[in-house]
Amino acid sequence: MLPHSLSPGSFTILTLAVVSSFFIFLRDDPQEEGLEFWMFAKNHYVMYQEEFEKAKDPKVNGDLIAYGAMERRLLSGVLSDTPVPDLVEVQLTMASRFFSGPIEAVGFTDLRPLLEAEGLDKRINPASFSPWTREGRIFGLPHDMHPVMLGYRADIVEAAGIDVNEIETWEDFVRILTPLMRDFDGDGTLDRYLLDLWETDYFGIEMLLLQAGGWYFDRTGAPAMNSDINIKVLATMVHWTTGPSRIGVNVPRFDAEGNRMRLEGGVIFQFMPDWYAGVMQQDVPGLAGKMKMMPLPAWEPGGRRTSCTGGTMLSIPRRAAKPEAAWEFAKKLYLGTEVAEKLYQQAMIVSPVIDNWDEDFYDEPIPYYSGQPVGRLYLELAPEIPQRVPSAFMVMAQQSMINAFIRTRRNAREAGVHEVEDVLDLARAELDAAQTLIENKMRRNTFLNPMEEQP
Amino acid sequence: MSLSRTHPSWVPYFFIAPFLIIFSVFMVYPLLNSISLSAFQSYGPQFSTFVGLDNFKNVFQDPDFWTAVKNTLIYSCASVMIQLPLALGLAMLLNRPDVKAKGFFRLIFFSPALVGLVFVAILFGLLLGARDGLVNETLRHVIPGFPAEFFWLQRYVMPALILASLWIYVGFNMVYFLAALQSINRDQIEAAMIDGANALQRFVHVILPAIKPVAGFVVLLSIIGSLQLFELPFILLGGAGPENRGLTLVMYLYQNGFEQNDLGYASAIGWILAIFLMGIAIVHRRLTREEL
Repeated sequence: MLPHSLSPGSFTILTLAVVSSFFIFLRDDPQEEGLEFWMFAKNHYVMYQEEFEKAKDPKVNGDLIAYGAMERRLLSGVLSDTPVPDLVEVQLTMASRFFSGPIEAVGFTDLRPLLEAEGLDKRINPASFSPWTREGRIFGLPHDMHPVMLGYRADIVEAAGIDVNEIETWEDFVRILTPLMRDFDGDGTLDRYLLDLWETDYFGIEMLLLQAGGWYFDRTGAPAMNSDINIKVLATMVHWTTGPSRIGVNVPRFDAEGNRMRLEGGVIFQFMPDWYAGVMQQDVPGLAGKMKMMPLPAWEPGGRRTSCTGGTMLSIPRRAAKPEAAWEFAKKLYLGTEVAEKLYQQAMIVSPVIDNWDEDFYDEPIPYYSGQPVGRLYLELAPEIPQRVPSAFMVMAQQSMINAFIRTRRNAREAGVHEVEDVLDLARAELDAAQTLIENKMRRNTFLNPMEEQP
Repeated sequence: MSLSRTHPSWVPYFFIAPFLIIFSVFMVYPLLNSISLSAFQSYGPQFSTFVGLDNFKNVFQDPDFWTAVKNTLIYSCASVMIQLPLALGLAMLLNRPDVKAKGFFRLIFFSPALVGLVFVAILFGLLLGARDGLVNETLRHVIPGFPAEFFWLQRYVMPALILASLWIYVGFNMVYFLAALQSINRDQIEAAMIDGANALQRFVHVILPAIKPVAGFVVLLSIIGSLQLFELPFILLGGAGPENRGLTLVMYLYQNGFEQNDLGYASAIGWILAIFLMGIAIVHRRLTREEL
């Protein structure tokens, strides 16, 4: 009956709809056997291939997924019960997205009982757990520590007869090295600066805050934007980027313009977390043999000589199909020496696993860094790495700190001041405003209880 | 032969059913659901707390919201005040009978609209780079003593956004105006010329009334498009930019809904924006109805 009552066109459309629907419903999504492992970093994916091939029971299927796409898929999986992997590498900023709801909604397995039962918590640098810990629960195995040193143009510094071992504090740094800044073309504008530090670059800002003992949040997770330490660091950063006391310059990372400045000596010292030491070798090969590393100058004599930035964890989603197998593979991958060696040799990232710190490969001289054993230098600083309190409001706090920096610097310029003591009040006013902003935003979130003490 | 005699009565409903189902599932239901969602603080669909009208109250008390409103309104005003007169001017130039290669120029002016906002954002990022940007390189050659680093994207955020959008949308809107201008009866213009009307009088009394319906439509589209601005600052500034100077209403919604995962708060922002847009549409409709 149906074909006779429809025109040929209508009949064709209807037939196509029915046939295609039939095939769509029949189509079965191929379910791969073994563990599903999502990651966003290509170099990790390449490094782990051998481990994936070795794993047989169960086998491991590694999926390299673009950062943004992985974040959305994982959030959907955690929040809306769409498929999740058995293992996933989560970067620091991405992790903060998963911490903005109630604690029971964090979609990752609490690894603390497993870590403690197997004594693994003692084998890993304690500071490396801090970004992945909320309300006493540890949601991931740390991939890295990311200690920070200063990378510098040894050819320029040594040609001037300067011994960086004489530099202990930031005050020494400025006093001893300022003569190296240059105005090559005589136009009144400096063409060579001391430090890669700028108001829009949270990279340097965060490293200096952490080194000084400051951070956006206190140990309870409550905002601490206007702490005395943060005020002092902000005032110092304004001092270093304003007026005649300026030593800082904007040198973008992962950028041709920034790399040209590095190559041409537009900046002498750069904040260098371990991962960036690896990036420099690839992105600016022209500096091979001209670079060296030194610990960060301390804020006061005897103070901390390093900091940290970024980070990645390996997590097991709560809805993972094979959590036990995932945990076994995670330990093999992250705690073993083989991957640690590859991680160092290919990306210069030093392992957070204390057992691995005695390995010889960390002592090998690195030609790019004038033969220094860079791995060993980073590891010597590892025990000093500051702890970071995680927060769902971290990105917001980063932006507020940058805005406070921009405004303080502008206000200082307009007021014609640049000495730290003169800038302190301006910095305090901006950080008070930032504190109020973050407090109000956090107050709105009824899921979070910032007053609970972190362990 | 009438339709009812060739087809059973259910056939039309059957064929519009797929659209209706998809529209209901993906438009009507989410729209209605967002009304109730705006009264909750949420973390995904499984965790929510009833907060009544607090989301709306918090939106209006949040200084970031007002920054977003200010930025969006400045951008929208610039879109209408600068973009549309330029588009109309270009259309009038191309509509002159003595202009050669009209098709070529039409293509040139329209082509930026083909590439999309993301590409434009990347392109302007390269143009306005602090040291090696094409603009600064050129200025250093032309103006002696021009600084080695000049941060256009820090100091002139809104002008950079407006400039980028001019580049992409002037040609796009020009096409609408050109179509409207080409539909004007030449006899009317010639009659005005015979009556002694000068160029300005011809524009005000003949051309403008003739293109008014199209102009009204273009103004409405521009305002609505401007109020929905998101991709351009998001890519060009990598977010809201220094001091939130590139924060727009839709970006504010995105930050809260998809970075903080609070879809309830984002729904409240969405409804405020929707009500604002509806208000503009109603005003526009009233104004155009009066004209008719």
